[in-house]
Amino acid sequence: MANLETFSYDNKIVRNFAYASVIFGVIGMLVGIIAALQLVFPVMNFGLAETTYGRIRPLHTNAVIFAFVGNGIFTGVYYSLQRLLKTRMFSDVLSNLHFWGWQLIILSAAITLPLGLTSSHEYAELIWPIDIAIAVVWVIFGINMFGTILKRREQHLYVAIWFYIATWITVTVLHIFNNIQIPVSMFKGIYAFAGVQDALIQWWYGHNAVAFFLTTPYLGLMYYFMPKAANRPVYSYKLSIIHFWALIFIYIWAGPHHLLYTSLPDWAQSLGTVFSIMLIAPSWGGMLNGLLTLRGVWDKVRTDPILKFFVVAVTAYGMATLEGPLLSIKSLNAITHYTDWTVGHVHIGALGWNGMLTFGMLYWLIPRIYGTKLYSVKLANTHFWIGTLGILFYAIPLYWAGWTQSLMWKQFTADGFLQYGNFLETVTQILPMYLIRAIGGTIYFTGVIVMIYNLIKTVQSGTLIANQEASAPVLVAYEAHNNEYWHKWIERKPIQMLIISAVLVLIGGLIEIVPMLMIDDNVPKIASVKPYTPLEWEGRDIYIREGCVGCHSQMVRPFRSETERYGEYSKSGEFIYDRPFLWGSKRTGPDLHRVGAKYPDSWHYNHMLDPTSMAPGSIMPPYPWLHKNDLNTSYTASKIKILQSLGTPYPEGFADKAVEDLKIQAKKVAASLAKDKITQENLENKEIVALIAYLQRLGTDIKVKDSSK
Amino acid sequence: MAKYILEGAGNINWMAIFALLTFVIIFTVSALLAFRKNNPVIKRMENLPLDDDA
Repeated sequence: MANLETFSYDNKIVRNFAYASVIFGVIGMLVGIIAALQLVFPVMNFGLAETTYGRIRPLHTNAVIFAFVGNGIFTGVYYSLQRLLKTRMFSDVLSNLHFWGWQLIILSAAITLPLGLTSSHEYAELIWPIDIAIAVVWVIFGINMFGTILKRREQHLYVAIWFYIATWITVTVLHIFNNIQIPVSMFKGIYAFAGVQDALIQWWYGHNAVAFFLTTPYLGLMYYFMPKAANRPVYSYKLSIIHFWALIFIYIWAGPHHLLYTSLPDWAQSLGTVFSIMLIAPSWGGMLNGLLTLRGVWDKVRTDPILKFFVVAVTAYGMATLEGPLLSIKSLNAITHYTDWTVGHVHIGALGWNGMLTFGMLYWLIPRIYGTKLYSVKLANTHFWIGTLGILFYAIPLYWAGWTQSLMWKQFTADGFLQYGNFLETVTQILPMYLIRAIGGTIYFTGVIVMIYNLIKTVQSGTLIANQEASAPVLVAYEAHNNEYWHKWIERKPIQMLIISAVLVLIGGLIEIVPMLMIDDNVPKIASVKPYTPLEWEGRDIYIREGCVGCHSQMVRPFRSETERYGEYSKSGEFIYDRPFLWGSKRTGPDLHRVGAKYPDSWHYNHMLDPTSMAPGSIMPPYPWLHKNDLNTSYTASKIKILQSLGTPYPEGFADKAVEDLKIQAKKVAASLAKDKITQENLENKEIVALIAYLQRLGTDIKVKDSSK
Repeated sequence: MAKYILEGAGNINWMAIFALLTFVIIFTVSALLAFRKNNPVIKRMENLPLDDDA
């Protein structure tokens, strides 16, 4: 009889993460609903800088990804890891530091993002001090997780744990490399990489945030909670081995599919497409493994709401992982990029896969750690139907909107002119779909409220089993035998699994990124492209602060429909001084890469003051504070110095003259505004002048200069 | 219609071929290895989540 040790599982930390996930889920979804409504009713921007769409969109994305799903991940990991390894977490102190550290990070995001303190890299917008905090907390989590693995009483690592290990190491690598900046101040940094390279690194990160934060940990949770809920083992353990290694190797390469038909070199685009399509195989391996786990118990799905949630979650995962690769095919991407189709795709994964799996997990978990039964199975079933309906009402209008808008952008008349030359026409056309989408999100959110009620009643009917007694035999040193299955070797060696996962994950990144950084030919230089002036740079930073990149792209693709509408297509050499790149992902408003010198300065002044004055029916919010606030030039000199150190060819000693140069150019802009009868006290010191200077510079470097000017 | 799709078949760059071959080889090899043996240990591993009292 083996030596039995008694210990206890920590359920308190699970409860804490579960509560945090739900609370921030509510906040994140509410912000999402507000953002959705702002597109239909621009008055909901409320005339305040802090509540404009451009500032709250990243608040929504960060909240739902890192606060809702993030805390959901930790809930499931802390619950399953202890039980799969038959041991308590390595350190209760680290557990609590992890928990409180993570919530403090979320709080700091909630404060900084509406204030316009952003780095603008999608899903990595948080400023550099918070990035450091994230790294610290992530390392604490890693030590706690690996410490637990090393003190396990179960020799073999179940598949869920491989996914947790791969998640941890990959997120570490991604976070570090996508946030390499030189600080200008406590609230701002300048990215080390520029233009095309910055774009590639951002989307290597961005897609793998989806892969290794939204997917792999949740696959781990699926592999634990679905067998638990169905009370049967996973369909094919061998399949889980194959799809795990295939998934973590292939996913990394898919990043460039966010940059198809941009000025990213062709070879990188091709790699992104090819690997994205190959990704269908391991992703569907996971989906099939999950769904087929229910073979023989499908009748249970009819009565058990938890299984219903899991079925929709895994199905949504399968849908999204077919849709994604299809959207990565260039011919389809040419239609869908920059449209709401992409947003619809995102939310199938987010609402369907992440959301529904989280709900199923919470319904399963909460009663158990409170030693009671779920308050109402009927309400849980109701939530299920409401949630599923919400997903449909969310995604289908957006598919319609995306397709409609894109085809309108590309429509030519018989004479060869753009049918819808005014971008605004294509926006107005899809407003009804935006409204239905907002309703869909609200329906989904209502389901969440139903869940909260149900869970509160459940919690009240029980008591938290803070420390759950358990016992297991002491771990005996393992003796390998000759005929052992080949994969078993790594299944009992967590460190080797960590290292090999890291190597596999790094291969894709290195092959795609290193040539971009080292080989000059990938970004052909254009002699006429010059660095931004200090005034234009400050204007650019205002553009970043206000989140303009959330609605406006700066990348004209090589299609006739785009060159007719915007001008010459964008070349990679034009972006070599752009830190960060601002190519954008969505055109709620028109592309701005060639907006320079298209409209007079006064047009921009009036447009930013009230967009509807220049474009009746526009849904863009007004930005009157730009006309009131004085431009802050206290960091201008150090910004120029840092840019110089990163290779931007400003003249020697230019940093000391930067503010002077800025004021001279600002006076010129103010004078041109005065010519159009726009006068204001101290106009040349206002932020709007800097923004106008930046916008008027965009895309003009490659235009043939009129020699008479 | 098919001729338009097949038209593009000739210009595939060497990196795409390399990627495809790598994937196919590794995937096939691991699939073969994984499915070759039916092992009682696999049965044990599968049941790990069901093994605890939670």
